Amino acid sequence: MRSDVVRLYKVVHTWTGITAGMFLFIAFYAGSITVFAEPLARWVSSPAPVRLTALDRSDDLIAHTLAARPDAAKEFTLYLGETEDLWARLTWRKGKDDKAPWSAELSSEGDLRLVQSYRSSLADFVDNIHRTAGIPGANDIGETIMGVVSAVYAVALVSGLIIVLPSLVKDLFALRIGPNLKRMWLDAHNVVGVVSLPFHIVIALSAVVFCLHEPLYDALDYVVYDGRLKSVMAASNPFNSVKKDERPAPMLPVNTLLERVKAASPSFVPTEMRYRNAGHRGASVQIWGYDTRYMTRGKGFAVISPVTGEIANTDYLPGKEGTWTGLVAIFFALHFATFGGDVVRVCYFLLGIAGAFLFYSGNLLWIESRRRTERRNGGPVIQKTSTRLMSAATVGVCLGAICAISLTIVAAKWLDGRVANIDVWHNGVYYAVFLASVLWSFLRGAAAASVELLWLAAIAAAAIPFTSLIGWASPALGMQGSASMAALGVDLVALFGALCFVWMARSAAHRVEYGPADSVWAASHRQLQEATR
Amino acid sequence: MSQIRRDWVSKTSAGAILGFSLAIALAGLFAWLSPGGLATPNKFQLVMWLVAPIWLTTLSLCFLFSSGMRAWLWLGGVNLLAYAGLIACRLLLR
Repeated sequence: MRSDVVRLYKVVHTWTGITAGMFLFIAFYAGSITVFAEPLARWVSSPAPVRLTALDRSDDLIAHTLAARPDAAKEFTLYLGETEDLWARLTWRKGKDDKAPWSAELSSEGDLRLVQSYRSSLADFVDNIHRTAGIPGANDIGETIMGVVSAVYAVALVSGLIIVLPSLVKDLFALRIGPNLKRMWLDAHNVVGVVSLPFHIVIALSAVVFCLHEPLYDALDYVVYDGRLKSVMAASNPFNSVKKDERPAPMLPVNTLLERVKAASPSFVPTEMRYRNAGHRGASVQIWGYDTRYMTRGKGFAVISPVTGEIANTDYLPGKEGTWTGLVAIFFALHFATFGGDVVRVCYFLLGIAGAFLFYSGNLLWIESRRRTERRNGGPVIQKTSTRLMSAATVGVCLGAICAISLTIVAAKWLDGRVANIDVWHNGVYYAVFLASVLWSFLRGAAAASVELLWLAAIAAAAIPFTSLIGWASPALGMQGSASMAALGVDLVALFGALCFVWMARSAAHRVEYGPADSVWAASHRQLQEATR
Repeated sequence: MSQIRRDWVSKTSAGAILGFSLAIALAGLFAWLSPGGLATPNKFQLVMWLVAPIWLTTLSLCFLFSSGMRAWLWLGGVNLLAYAGLIACRLLLR
């Protein structure tokens, strides 16, 4: 590689990295947590005081519900699981954004109980932070911005690879720990970047698609499909595979439908059934579930007619997709870690955290290469405004997001069932902590704030297992946790995270007092003493 | 060997704009020429997925052109070829 090309791409890498870095830090940190959305949902849920209607009474439940509430026939969902994050056996809602769905259960005497309740999910909130990096406003604004950020990130990846290529073999496994801190950070940045490069390429490209698919479809429709894309999409829509027919017809039992799907794909594990137009001859049921033997788009599903029992569509049933949906399912799986089970999920969690480290260390390197150093005889220095502001922003944004997510999780557990609209509280806690951390970092300076916010991050993470402990110790509070391994896992990971933050806070504090005084990470009184010496 | 020119604005715009139009055209060619043709159900998703890698590879590598002018000329030329192919598909394959 010619040295002028490398120099040019260093500039590309610097500016793409510094633009996208902090957005990506938040997206990666929240994304790592989102990999374990289900354990998080179980952690925050209390074991239901009344158990769900027994699964073998589902047919009764459906019949009673439809008799009492014909409006539910248009679309309702029957959940097949038994975990505590499921709050009802059968639910229906008015439209996609209805936050107050109805639920139906059968009492042991066979009486129908209908309840309307406000639902909001902590896991969805963390997922929103992942998808928008916490950019406020409507989700599509944040996602569009993140689409552009992801495109910039892709350029940063290629440029970073071009820079390290010439010295790849020599430098890759050299982690030079020693007095030259910048060298050590650079080595760490390079090794993490190169080792996880395939992961990052997959994430960058798929994130661009997830965020920008609407404008991409519009462009393709205009240029390639000549305005006919809508009809191609409609012809592909699996939900149109059962013809509309409003004549009444009896429906087959739930178990029969599940057996039909099992016959079609024995390794598929159904988790929920979404009925449409129940009671009509044109009724359909999407049977959703997972299948760890295949690479899937999150959950897959088969469409079946509850009247005839015929499977109408398998375009999204793992292992039974056609060529085209099968290929796209692989891209989804590579982003969502929906293959290979828990081992892959743990790997994605670690890769996500490593990615967050990559962006944090990238910002640190930007700061390190711009700060003024004491020249041998030149005497002490006062740091440039740009490095002071960038270091404060990096510390405030990155550590602020970490603290804000932990405290939102903790608050969700304490407030569950005590407030009317938990969504407002999720947002309130997250943005209050995040903005306060950023403000704090600018007021106190990066050096002091890094130590203080790391201690806050440690306390906030430790508050997660302590919340579980308090919930179990004093049942009067009414917030017992789930006794599942999944929820215990959340507690253990949070506790380990807290210990990591303590270690980081202590080493940051050491650097503030004893590190080089001409660093942006030295205590401000030491920088001042140096400057006036 | 001549020094590579930086030409930030012209190179970045060439990669972003012509890289995008090229990606749309190549994805379109794939839609026409892969088995089943344009209207095959379920293919449109994969077609859309192709745009991002083509676009961003072009954008990432277009700084390798020795000047912004060359980036515009080369990418413009490749675009012309791709769109000529797309028009040919439209005329010849219904």
